[in-house]
Formats: sequence, structure tokens, C-alpha cells
Amino acid sequence: MQSIRGSTRLLQRHRFSISNTLRFTSSSTSCGSWSENESRRLGFDSFPCTRAATYLISSLKNVGFSSSAIPKQNFTYSSRCFSTTGDSVQGSPESDCVVPQRIKFKRLDKTAKHIMQIVDKEAVEEVRTLREIPEIKPGYIVQLKVEVPENKRRVSIVKGVVIARRNAGLNSTFRIRRLVAGVGVESMFPLYSPNLREIKVVDKKKVRRAKLYYLRDKVNALKKH
Amino acid sequence: MIQPQTYLNVADNSGARELMCIRIIGASNRRYAHIGDVIVVVIKEAIPNTPLERSEVIRAVIVRTCKELKRNNGTIIRYDDNAAVVIDQEGNPKGTRVFGAIPRELRQLNFTKIVSLAPEVL
Repeated sequence: MQSIRGSTRLLQRHRFSISNTLRFTSSSTSCGSWSENESRRLGFDSFPCTRAATYLISSLKNVGFSSSAIPKQNFTYSSRCFSTTGDSVQGSPESDCVVPQRIKFKRLDKTAKHIMQIVDKEAVEEVRTLREIPEIKPGYIVQLKVEVPENKRRVSIVKGVVIARRNAGLNSTFRIRRLVAGVGVESMFPLYSPNLREIKVVDKKKVRRAKLYYLRDKVNALKKH
Repeated sequence: MIQPQTYLNVADNSGARELMCIRIIGASNRRYAHIGDVIVVVIKEAIPNTPLERSEVIRAVIVRTCKELKRNNGTIIRYDDNAAVVIDQEGNPKGTRVFGAIPRELRQLNFTKIVSLAPEVL
């Protein structure tokens, strides 16, 4: 009894959250066919077969599993706990083994955010295996070899103090301050940019801040800090 | 982001020392000028015994700004001061030397003479 009540509440909650986006799941597809057909309909055929994709498909499997059940058949969606009257609607193999009592399903935007995090981490790992990127913290004196595609030469050995670092996954950036021809110049580079051929840490200074913007007012020998 | 009433340093040896922006050349009612834009300036301070004198109205091109300059590859350049190079009506610099770092974008805007005179092209 309680499981039916809980399941109806669950069903209503799922209906509210997914009514707009997953309207097509209430069609007559059986849950067992959440396979390449469904993933293609969701437009995921070009998705890389990564952890993120399997996470999404499995989470949507859980949704479709519960929402495609018809409420008249009281025992169908609780068939994980009970055995049904012989209806073979639920045939997915993973329902038999690990059976949680409640289907935990995050809001779609939370799921999407989580997937973006996974995708971002994978991209960062991919770049890290290609190039060696040392750790850069504010206060380090760093020498970069920056490739400029306009000149087609590897010009620009950039050497300066790191004054800021912003962590944003693949878009992590850091700022370097240096003196060029008597003028102070700050440059910001993406940490995983392919234009940064080489990053070398020359020196480390002790600072007590994460962002060293106070160096803009101090003019005396910025590199000596 | 240079607008009228902005004071600018001079990055060449034309004889002026400080300029004040009066007007931005381009579309009418344009609010801000960035690196590579031509502006009309008045000389607020000049080196004595040079062809340029105080309160003369001339044109200049902006070469350095404190506002960041964004590039297509995701890098950003930001200078410590606002500076301009005095030019004539065609776009040739009036001075013979240029001081300080000049960004690379000036080359695409047909200020090649300034870029060639620059001690450091960023």
C-alpha cells in the first residue's frame, strides 16, 4: 500500500518536472527499448561515448521507466518490488539487480550541470596529457613561449609575475604583469591554450593574496616585487 | 575607452607631451574610442622649441589604453596608461620615433609606419 502511494507521488513529481521536455517518453515505447533508438531521438548520436553520456542515458532511463507506466495498472511501476501479473513492460536488466526504494532524480538543469562538469574535466585531462602544464599560483615568476599565428614564428618569450589566476575548468586563465619598454603591461592567457607552447616557473615569491592587483600602483621594479 | 576630456600621454617625439581628446572620428555620437581609433585632440602640454605648440588641434591615433584589448585567441592585453601617437591627415606619424609598446592590431589598420618604428610590438 505504502509503496503505491509513494509511487504515485513520485509519478506526479516526475510528471511536473519532465512534462515539457520529455513529452515523447509518454508514448507507447516500452522501457526495455531505451537503447540506441531513444538516444538517437534525443539527438545524442553524436555524443561521445563517455561517462557523461552513459550518466545521461541512465538517468533518463530511470525517468522513462517510471513515467511511461500507466497509472491504472497499480502494480506496474512497483514491479521492482513485487512481481507483476505477467506484463513484460519492464524488461531492462538493471531493474532487477540494484533496486532502490525511491527513484532519485535530479532536476534537469542540475543533471545538465553535472554532465557539463564531467565533460569539462575530460577536456582538461585530454589537454594535460598532451602538454605539461606546471602549477601556476600568484606570486610566481613565469616565463612563457607564446606562439603568434600572425607572424608564423615563435616570437614572444613572455616573462612576468603571475598576479591572478582564475579557475574555470578548461577556461582557466591567468594574468601576467611585466614591464615592456618602460610601460607596464598585463596580459591574460588561457591556461590550456594551444598557443602557449611552454610554461616555465622561474621563481616563486611569497605573497599573502590571491590577486595581486596592488602591484599596479607600485611602480618600483615589479619583477622584483 | 577614451572619450572627450580624456588626457593621453604622447608616445612619440613629435613635441607634444600631453593631449586631451575632443572628438572621436568615425560615426557621429560615438561614445568611446579604443586602440587603433583616430581622435581629435588638443595639445595641453608641449615641449618647448618644437613645431607643435600648446592648444593646437590635431589628430592622433590611440596606441595604448588602460581598458583591455581582447584578441581572438582569448588573450587580453592591458596597458598601464593611455597613450596616442600624433598623426597628420593621411595617417602618417608626425614624429620620427615611437616609444613604448605598440599592439599588433595597428598593423591591420594601416598604421604600418608606426608599427615599424616601435621598439616592441606586442
